[in-house]
Amino acid sequence: MREYWWKILGVVLVLYSFGMGLLTPLKTGISDIHPQFISTGDTVAMEITGYNSFYQAAEGKLRAWLKLDAAHALAASAIEVKDDRHLVLYFALPEELPGTAEETDASLLIDSPVDGAHVYPGGIRIRQKKNVQPQKSSTNWTDPIENLHEKDAITFPFRNILGETIRNTYYHVPMWFAMFLLFTGAMVHSIHFLRRKNLKNDRWAAALTNTGLVFGAMGLATGAVWANYTWGEPWSGDVKQNMTAIGLLIYGAYFVLRFAMEDPERKARISAVYNIFAYSTLIPLLYVIPKLTDSLHPGAGGNIAFGSQDLDNTMRMVFYPAIIGWTLTGLWASQLLYRMNTLREKLLWEH
Amino acid sequence: MSLWTEIWFLLGKEVKLEWRQRHALSGIVLYVLSTVFIVFISFQQISPQLWNVLFWIIMLFASINAVVKSFVQESGNRQLYYYQLANPVAILLSKTLYNTLLLLLLGGLNAAALLLVAGNPLEDPGLFALSVVMGSIGFSVTFTFIAAIAAKTSNSSTMMTILGFPVIIPVLLILVNLSAHAIGLLQGSLIEDDIVMLAGIDLLLLGLGLVLFPMLWRE
Repeated sequence: MREYWWKILGVVLVLYSFGMGLLTPLKTGISDIHPQFISTGDTVAMEITGYNSFYQAAEGKLRAWLKLDAAHALAASAIEVKDDRHLVLYFALPEELPGTAEETDASLLIDSPVDGAHVYPGGIRIRQKKNVQPQKSSTNWTDPIENLHEKDAITFPFRNILGETIRNTYYHVPMWFAMFLLFTGAMVHSIHFLRRKNLKNDRWAAALTNTGLVFGAMGLATGAVWANYTWGEPWSGDVKQNMTAIGLLIYGAYFVLRFAMEDPERKARISAVYNIFAYSTLIPLLYVIPKLTDSLHPGAGGNIAFGSQDLDNTMRMVFYPAIIGWTLTGLWASQLLYRMNTLREKLLWEH
Repeated sequence: MSLWTEIWFLLGKEVKLEWRQRHALSGIVLYVLSTVFIVFISFQQISPQLWNVLFWIIMLFASINAVVKSFVQESGNRQLYYYQLANPVAILLSKTLYNTLLLLLLGGLNAAALLLVAGNPLEDPGLFALSVVMGSIGFSVTFTFIAAIAAKTSNSSTMMTILGFPVIIPVLLILVNLSAHAIGLLQGSLIEDDIVMLAGIDLLLLGLGLVLFPMLWRE
């Protein structure tokens, strides 16, 4: 039992990441607003489509604001609940905007005692009507936002565009972590082989590279699924996707190279050299070139990495276990491959 | 003997060897010329964009064919002789240098032939020349090391393409980009970025080659 604990832990963590990652609901959000372009002086009826919302249960206790900035907000004058997912908000917009801007960007904030407060960040354009001169001091945008509710439940954050696909964080990202750790292990074994010439190291390197490549392919596949929903196409020729595909091709050639040689010592030495070479090209391909060019991928092309903003504590509770779980599972698979190859070679020697 | 004199001697040897068996060199020259001619006959009208891509595709295949023989043309006995005498770093550097010169020649020939049959789309010949020089260095650095690996296998020319193509794609993409600037297909001030990135990749590959070649070379 003592030798198996990490395999059990790996499987348990992977199962946990599937269970928690797929079953935990998302926070309430606002998926659609109509109209998004409004002008001052009008009374606007804004149709809201909520996500995971229970507006009927909170009827009469709902509050809503158009928020311009920290100091300026306008409360809805009336709220009509159509059903759990749909609301109509009435805003009586003042004649002028605060400040001197002719057009401004507003967020919508809805507070419900059932669902908690939820936001549609930015995206609502308010235009100053032409015939009115904007005034410096405005008293009409000063409704206070206070006593917001918070929902007491385990939920994942709701992000527009991402929606339910935010769960892919637990499947797409850990694949790359696992791949990188396995490839690193393989490279260390390759260096050891070149130093000690022990064929065991070569078999370990081959086994770890093999599983690492599987994880890379799964990472590419989960990434394509995610890109289909968020970028519009499974393969949009983004630099991150292209460079990753090249990196995996370089690693794929490792196995072709192994098959092309008969003598075990020479095979081990040449493939160890190539493995170190492949590992050293993978880092610039995956992490340097995409950072320097334009890319849609988070953490590349001037975008901030995903984790710095959107990873909240509930997500961390699934994300980190998923990384550990997949890596341990990958190690287990590599160990099985290693043993299989060792046995195969033994059989070859005996017969 | 210092490293530089060693490199110089080995480079001289490579050139002499090439000159004695001129069929290899003339074969490559003929390869480039006939490919350009085939391309010209099949396309008739070549747009600037096509010109750019064709140039680099021809360059890519000609380079692979030119570099693949680096480590297989000399017999195993003679390799054994070099093991006794030379520093592996000097061997790799001299071969890389020699291949760079060879690819520069091929690049010039390729450009001249394309300019002759397909017209001149170049707006900035200086930048184009720079991209050919950087391309020759990049191809030579990458393919010389890959050729050293491929030479250890039973089917070295197939292995050369399998191992070489994925590695060369980033270099090739930047080169196509750079010469597209020279042709005027792309505007913008990203040229310096491209050059720096290309130089970075070349340096990385050269450094890797120098570290790993000594372990690869000696049987």
